[in-house]
Amino acid sequence: MVNELSDFVLVSIALLGIGIYGLAVKRNFIRMLFAIEIIINAANLNMVAFGRFLPDSGGQTLALFSIAIAAAEVAVGLSLIIVAYRMYHNVDVADFRSLKG
Amino acid sequence: MIELSSTPLVIIIILGIVGVILPVINVIRKEKGSNSFYAVIAFAALILSIGYVGYQFVSDNILPSALFSKEVIVDDAFGGFFAIAMLIVAIFTTVGSFNYMRKQSYPSIYYSLILLSTIGMVLVAYSTDLIMLFVAWELMSIPTYALVGFIKRNPTSNEAALKYFLFGALSSAIIIYGISITYGITGSTNIGEVIQGYSNLDPSLVPLALLSVGMFIAGFGFKMGLVPFHQWLPDTYDGAPPTITTLLAAGTKKAGFAATIRIVVLGMVVLNLDWTLALGILAIMTMTVGNVAAIMQKSLSRMLAYSSIAHAGYILIGLAVAPHSSLGLQGSLYQILNHAVMKGMAFIAVAGIVTTLAVTNLDKLKGLGRKMPITSLGLVISLLALAGVPPLAGFWSKLMLFGGALDATSALWWAPWLAIAGVLNSALSLAYYGWIMRRMYFEGEREKRVKEPKSIIAVVIFSIIFLVGFGVYPEPIIQFVELATPVVSTTVMP
Repeated sequence: MVNELSDFVLVSIALLGIGIYGLAVKRNFIRMLFAIEIIINAANLNMVAFGRFLPDSGGQTLALFSIAIAAAEVAVGLSLIIVAYRMYHNVDVADFRSLKG
Repeated sequence: MIELSSTPLVIIIILGIVGVILPVINVIRKEKGSNSFYAVIAFAALILSIGYVGYQFVSDNILPSALFSKEVIVDDAFGGFFAIAMLIVAIFTTVGSFNYMRKQSYPSIYYSLILLSTIGMVLVAYSTDLIMLFVAWELMSIPTYALVGFIKRNPTSNEAALKYFLFGALSSAIIIYGISITYGITGSTNIGEVIQGYSNLDPSLVPLALLSVGMFIAGFGFKMGLVPFHQWLPDTYDGAPPTITTLLAAGTKKAGFAATIRIVVLGMVVLNLDWTLALGILAIMTMTVGNVAAIMQKSLSRMLAYSSIAHAGYILIGLAVAPHSSLGLQGSLYQILNHAVMKGMAFIAVAGIVTTLAVTNLDKLKGLGRKMPITSLGLVISLLALAGVPPLAGFWSKLMLFGGALDATSALWWAPWLAIAGVLNSALSLAYYGWIMRRMYFEGEREKRVKEPKSIIAVVIFSIIFLVGFGVYPEPIIQFVELATPVVSTTVMP
């Protein structure tokens, strides 16, 4: 069985929807970070699928760049979360309320 | 093939090498303090880069604003303009940090991150390929996440960093999704080819093209602080170290505009759609929400944050009318340069006030005019320039923006409303700027003068000369802006 392009795009759109849902509903920083990662991976899936069906190698290049950059981004984000955890012993968004106005 | 002497490459080499070497020097010297040593090295690297950009302009080695190129980066006047604006901001941040960082630890990493983030900002303006644009965008963003949370023991700094990180990561996720759709429907990542692909698109794919442009606007809009995407901005600007706020408000925000001009405005012209109305509505919303919220603030840095949201709205006027009036886009570029200097100076002045007096609350600023006369004078000049009072530089850029809006009236019936909203908002902003000036000069008891940090005085004096000098004699800057502005109406690929 050969997968059509539309299958990949549908999965990617479903992942995008899951990511946005997760960002809107969850109140835990790590879960929100996961939701963002899901969106980035949805985009990666899109690019690899388009690259396969166009056909063109640019999509895979872009996906590799995007994976590497997302890893760097997550490293910085998790380190910020660790610093926050040491201060509050919690990573819930609701606990961060010192800045208001 | 890009030559090795092209401006973006030289900037990458200078700033990149110095940025990577600074922490290494720290390890070799095995010591903690000596902030000024690293600051001087970073300052020298930035001066060298801005000197090189200036030299390239003077010796005519830079292409006219090309906007498209077969390469991933193009050495054109548009990129050079943004490079100068962002390097000025980075210099402000470095010089302003001389004093602020004296009490903090790890100065070498701090300056190294500033340099790396500056490379990202400069490259965003130069890139003509979506891959390059995305890499540069992340190179700009990731160091700033760490910089906002740089004061580890301070809960507000950490909270600001987490909020900024969450929205920043979301914005880059949205941008990469937009890039993936764009790549899918046009089969290329080169911005020129993408726009050409947009212009002869199969009608059934037009909704996807609209979705991708919408995602670009949303993704860049998070960094620019346009109104539906602005919630993180006041918190982050308030909680971050004030010197880093300078970098965010005056630097990364402008990179967002550079990317928007490269992609969205040109895509808008070619797609033949009514994006102009959407951008116009965004502009009016952004101005009004920013200014109205600024009136109610109790803290100086928070108020300046909302006023910088409002200024994103003014700049957006020029982008909205860009397809019908070249004056609008010129006004936008001029306002971007002016706003970089004005907001940069205002936040550096806040940094000075925080380091010497440790207050940002507006009620505690009473009598500041006597305590810190030079900083206060700088703050007053930058606030007046932000409001657009005539003899200062901010007036000319606003005049060009509103003139551009009126100029487009024949094509867009609603364009004059942009100008009207802009003028009303400027008047409104003068009201709350006036409050601050009243607090500083006409309230409070006679208090003794405090010693002002020298580095901050240097930034303030440079900016006062810039704002007043180019306000009285704006001719050279206007010519520079005209040179840098791309001609949007003829967007046909060579």
